[in-house]
Amino acid sequence: MTEADVILYIVVGTALAFDFTNGFHDTANVVATSISTRAMAPRVAVTYAAILNFAGAFISLEVAATVAADVVVADVITPTIVFAGLIGAIAWNLATWYFGLPSSSSHALIGGVVGAAFVAIGSEAVLSDGVIGKVLVPALIAPLLAFIVGGIAIVVCYRILGRQRPGPVTRGFRLGQVVSGGLLALAHGTNDAQKTMGIIALALIANGNLSAGSDPPFWVIISAATAIALGTYTGGWRIIKTMGTRIIKMDAAQGFSAQGAGSAVILASTHFGYPLSTTHVISGAVMGAGAGKRLSAVRWGVAGNIVSAWLLTFPMAAAIGALTYGVTRIFGDGAIGPILIAAAGIVLTAMAFARRIRASSTVPAG
Amino acid sequence: MIATIVDWGALGQTILAALLGGVGVAFTFSLTILGASRFGQGSRELSVFESIGYGALALFGLAATAAAIVFGIIVMASG
Repeated sequence: MTEADVILYIVVGTALAFDFTNGFHDTANVVATSISTRAMAPRVAVTYAAILNFAGAFISLEVAATVAADVVVADVITPTIVFAGLIGAIAWNLATWYFGLPSSSSHALIGGVVGAAFVAIGSEAVLSDGVIGKVLVPALIAPLLAFIVGGIAIVVCYRILGRQRPGPVTRGFRLGQVVSGGLLALAHGTNDAQKTMGIIALALIANGNLSAGSDPPFWVIISAATAIALGTYTGGWRIIKTMGTRIIKMDAAQGFSAQGAGSAVILASTHFGYPLSTTHVISGAVMGAGAGKRLSAVRWGVAGNIVSAWLLTFPMAAAIGALTYGVTRIFGDGAIGPILIAAAGIVLTAMAFARRIRASSTVPAG
Repeated sequence: MIATIVDWGALGQTILAALLGGVGVAFTFSLTILGASRFGQGSRELSVFESIGYGALALFGLAATAAAIVFGIIVMASG
């Protein structure tokens, strides 16, 4: 086994850990609406979401192709650059989680890789057209689109059913939420798991195990699917404990509209290979469904969080990715740098979790 | 600069698909609930023809909702 192979193993392990935390953080977004409207029991909702997250990872590879081919020049990237980018993303996510700041795992992942590649090779390693055209602009449009679709959808529901007796209508939408909630979990799985697949594919290309432009191997797909599903399942149990204080109130029609809007935006974007922040899209759809009923119901602070996360996450993750690459270079080209940084990362993460869990029994959604 | 970098065609199709999918499913499923709810009121409030009409509306709405979801997933998987 060469030192490059050791670095590759570290990258794959780190990427899967990132995928697991993505599922862990996002469980709340995916299941909260179904639980809030009592469409599903919490345990059923979490298990259902985990299974559909897993299934979703298998239905498309467009987003993985974007991450592997349209963000940085795959031919000049090394596994150490990918590793530094991942550390940049994880460090920024951890810091924002610890201090309660808004973030986006997706933007952090791409920002981290771009920052590390920029410092390691230069601006020629970054595909700015791809970053702007396939990541940043869609990331800005998608939450707005989800807000509009969610808003129109709830107005349509109320127009058609406004004069009906509330009992049958609520029961009907609760039944509908079994499907719309499942679709949302499927959409979340397909967009988010593919980002990890793309990153692992990039590392495999960098190490010479995969030719540029190839689809990720099956073991990458199934391991990314498993990691995000396990993260969703594990994260769900904490959500069940804390849901009483954290879940917003909405009726079943709003829940159905928000889940349908979020699913439609994520699935359509995934088809065209746009790696979105699924958290932002789901938040936008929930706000749209709220605004459709009553404008004052919108939590504009959430909108502010999305904007600040959009502005901050990419450059901050890029800066940490660049810094991490610089630190690994102190130890030379070999595996020592990534090994030391990965070990330090595990210790710091454990310390942050221990401190945070001692300070509070709640975990914010990602 | 952004105008030339962004593939507005693909982005436009994404927006259109999301609008049609999200709003369309809300529309067809609302029709399902409307039909089922009125059909469930039975002979006390509706004539036979009205009952049959609302039953048909519920079935149509349900079929249209299912078709839209299956079509969306097939299109995605074939991409």
